[in-house]
Amino acid sequence: MIFVALTTILLLAPLIVVVGASFSASQFVVFPPQGFSLEWYRKVLSSPEYLNAGFVSLNVALLVTVTATLVGGAAAIAIHRKQLPGSEILAALFLSPLVLPTIIYAIGMLMFWSSVFGPVSLPVLWISHTVIAMPYVIRTTLAVLSESDPFLEEAARTMGANRMQRLWLVVVPQCLPGLAAGAFFAFNVSFDEAVLSLFLRKPGLTTLPVQIYGQLEFSPDPSVAAVSAIMIALTVILILVIDRFLGIKKFANA
Amino acid sequence: MANVRLENIRKSFGKVQVLHGVSLDIASGEFVSLLGASGSGKTTLLRTAAGLESVTSGSISIDGQDVTDLPPEKRDIAMMFQSYALLPHLSVSENVRFPLRMRKIGTREEQAESVRGALETVQLGHLADRLPRQLSGGQQQRVALARAIVSNPKVLLLDEPLSNLDARLREDMQVELIEIHKRLGLTTIFVTHDQEEALGLSDRVVLLHKGKVEQEGTPADMYSQPATVFASTFIGSANLVAATISEIDGVLVARLVDGQTLPLPANIAKRGEVQLVLRQEDMTIGGEGQLKAKVRTRVFLGARNRYVLSLAGQEIRVLAGNDEIFSRGQTVSLGIDPARIRVMSD
Repeated sequence: MIFVALTTILLLAPLIVVVGASFSASQFVVFPPQGFSLEWYRKVLSSPEYLNAGFVSLNVALLVTVTATLVGGAAAIAIHRKQLPGSEILAALFLSPLVLPTIIYAIGMLMFWSSVFGPVSLPVLWISHTVIAMPYVIRTTLAVLSESDPFLEEAARTMGANRMQRLWLVVVPQCLPGLAAGAFFAFNVSFDEAVLSLFLRKPGLTTLPVQIYGQLEFSPDPSVAAVSAIMIALTVILILVIDRFLGIKKFANA
Repeated sequence: MANVRLENIRKSFGKVQVLHGVSLDIASGEFVSLLGASGSGKTTLLRTAAGLESVTSGSISIDGQDVTDLPPEKRDIAMMFQSYALLPHLSVSENVRFPLRMRKIGTREEQAESVRGALETVQLGHLADRLPRQLSGGQQQRVALARAIVSNPKVLLLDEPLSNLDARLREDMQVELIEIHKRLGLTTIFVTHDQEEALGLSDRVVLLHKGKVEQEGTPADMYSQPATVFASTFIGSANLVAATISEIDGVLVARLVDGQTLPLPANIAKRGEVQLVLRQEDMTIGGEGQLKAKVRTRVFLGARNRYVLSLAGQEIRVLAGNDEIFSRGQTVSLGIDPARIRVMSD
């Protein structure tokens, strides 16, 4: 009981502080808020830096969602069918970004990209975010597949379905809940990601988390809280939309 | 409808040989059961007929056409799985339409008509728009059956389709299977480990044991004339009792190990050390019995009682009626019609 209560408090308290501070009339990030003002929201929504960063983040996150879901889904199906030689090892490799410190991957990616392709650009952020987001898609899709009836594909064969028909009409439909859950995670992972984005940034290629960090470091004011509150709101909306269309239970299971 | 011919099928998984040369000729429209314990190779044999397993050697033909190297999707078959294997994201009618859609049989309207017909056959017309998970186990089973018969396949393969149902539903489905088979006349191969099911449903029973055909024949023959010790214990779960046969004063008797004797009909040719095959349901307890046995356990089965008795130092099972109850430790007389005794050398 105590642990549950403690966890709940520790999870929710920061969110409440951030949202509260964002409405403050004060020049500094303080909680409880002093006065009430929408000044900081106005500042955020009229700041080209924030808007540009938000656009970059959204752009990258959407691209990552698409690629991570496609590649991760395909990888999960291949791993599940044990079609590839050494699929156990491959599975471990594909899931390794979950345990590998992101900072090591970020440094490696920066050095690799600089020496092979030159200066960083949007594609490098896209690719590296895809790599760290893919394990989530693989995990959720494998979870769904492992619960499915192993005889479905054989049954489809006896009903005359060829290889492609089995893939599209039997395997992929079964993966859908896992893919949707994975896509949701992938979007969030990319949208939230700060370490890779920090290392692979350049002027004009700054994501929202990096922008927030920079702002907090150099000129802290409640606009940081305001933009954070907007991010929280976006996530909540995304969850509500998904719950509406797919049901949150499926996600919890995946 | 078509005949199926399996010729000298051998199948190994790695070093383990599962089928040791099985040959089987199934006539057009025949209902054949593959009966056996787990590990007998019955399911593997069915899967080779479906094309889901390749054969190590041997050949398979359906309707005179060699299909040994054809994948399942190119064979004109339908198979019903133990788990039913309904596609969870498709409605009942879409599940049933699936084989027609894959094999491009008929226009959309004709397909819809066939689906309706198949669902009517299994009395599920009213559930056409449901999803599989909204159905009970028995209903899912019927959907799977409808899906298997909808395309009018040359061969219908059934892999223990009734084993996930409770006893009552199972009996209903058995009756339904018999009636559907009579109506459609599909060549059917049915895999089961349940001897009653095999005897009850099929035109012919093929008993498999350790990857070989142990015995095959009509249900009546299989029951009344088991050819081997294994066949007699598996079908009818008979008791095997060791005895020595000799002629005493012109009368043929079997002497059990504890010295009790049992008169035998004169037409039995075997002499010396044998196994007497005594079927559970052929013996009577408490009447004019030739033998004495001691009651060990009684299992109440509702309509009948099963007694576990101790006879000549060994355990035997007897099915008896309900009218008289014998208790544990009681010595009872045990009778059997001599004409029902079968003798086998081991």
